[in-house]
Amino acid sequence: MELSKKEQFIKTIDEHKKIIYKIVNSYCPNKDDRKDLEQEIIIHLWNSFDKYDSNYKYSTWMYRIALNVAISFYRKEKKWSLKNDFYNEESIFRIEEDNSEEEAQLDYHLKLLQEFIHNLNELNKALMLLYLEEKSYEEIAEILGITKTNVATKISRIKLKLKKEFKNI
Amino acid sequence: METEELKNILAAYDTKLDKKLSLNVASLKNINLNKSEKNTQAILKYRIVEIVVFSLLALFIGNYIANNWSHTHLVVSGVIVGFFTLIALSGSIGQVALLNQIDFSKPIVDIRKKIEFVNTHGLLFVKLMFLSTPIWWSYVVVGSDYLFNIDLYSNMNADFVLKYLVINSLLIIPLIWFLCKLNYKNLHIKWVRKTIGFFTGLKTMKALEFLNDIEDFKN
Repeated sequence: MELSKKEQFIKTIDEHKKIIYKIVNSYCPNKDDRKDLEQEIIIHLWNSFDKYDSNYKYSTWMYRIALNVAISFYRKEKKWSLKNDFYNEESIFRIEEDNSEEEAQLDYHLKLLQEFIHNLNELNKALMLLYLEEKSYEEIAEILGITKTNVATKISRIKLKLKKEFKNI
Repeated sequence: METEELKNILAAYDTKLDKKLSLNVASLKNINLNKSEKNTQAILKYRIVEIVVFSLLALFIGNYIANNWSHTHLVVSGVIVGFFTLIALSGSIGQVALLNQIDFSKPIVDIRKKIEFVNTHGLLFVKLMFLSTPIWWSYVVVGSDYLFNIDLYSNMNADFVLKYLVINSLLIIPLIWFLCKLNYKNLHIKWVRKTIGFFTGLKTMKALEFLNDIEDFKN
């Protein structure tokens, strides 16, 4: 049976949920704002769902929208606090917590990495995320709208910065 | 820690998310997905109002010039006021065009630049205000003639008119230099920052700073 548009959309979001989750966590240091941002990203994705250009990978399209929304959200002085209007109180994503030692160590390192990412400006933050996601230079260039050479230069700078920042860990 | 180790941490994080991250479908279904982004719509409405106002003003000025065709000084004043109205009108039309090009599925740098140009719209009016300084009498001449039916020019002393023309002509070149400086590329100059900040406010200033960041990022 053919899926309705909304069901198709939910299926796609489910398949790519990690993209949204990671972007939200990188752009929103404040936990309370995260629900707003993830829902804003979902709304933009839904509004652009019909306009998806199949010449690009679905993840490229999704990264562009999610990062553009996240940057707008981050740059807004007054956050979109319209909870009573159309936002839910509940988060769209659930993550099971685990108190094992291994998990605690991973969380510690992730926290350090996120602190490093938070200190970058909006565009470098996007570049950093894509680099750590091991996207190809070509895909990063497509998402950001800069040349491949420029991506390579910036990534080598980021590598140096990362090395410097994490040398004592 | 090497970057490779960081990537290993992220790979472990990925594995964790694969296992433990789930979509709250009920919550997703509860979102009103058809709600559009209010902020862009609100800016678009303001710009459309500006277009209507400036178009009406341009029509009025056109009509004023036609009705006073035999009075050269009123025609010249009307043309000057009309010229500034048309600049403001084209600025607002440009903004609507930019707003219509904002599509979040397009490359980030292009979209951010368009958004920030929309956010710096206030600077156009500041520049127009400064640019009007040497010809401010045109507004007074047109206004007093239209509103109070008083032809100020015919009551002016010829000596005053001559001095006004000379002094204000001398102002044009420094003023153009000054306006060219009021640009996001010159934010490193203290007086440029202060002037823009004072006349446009924090929002425009932040947008201009971000335009600078975008340029740096692109190069």
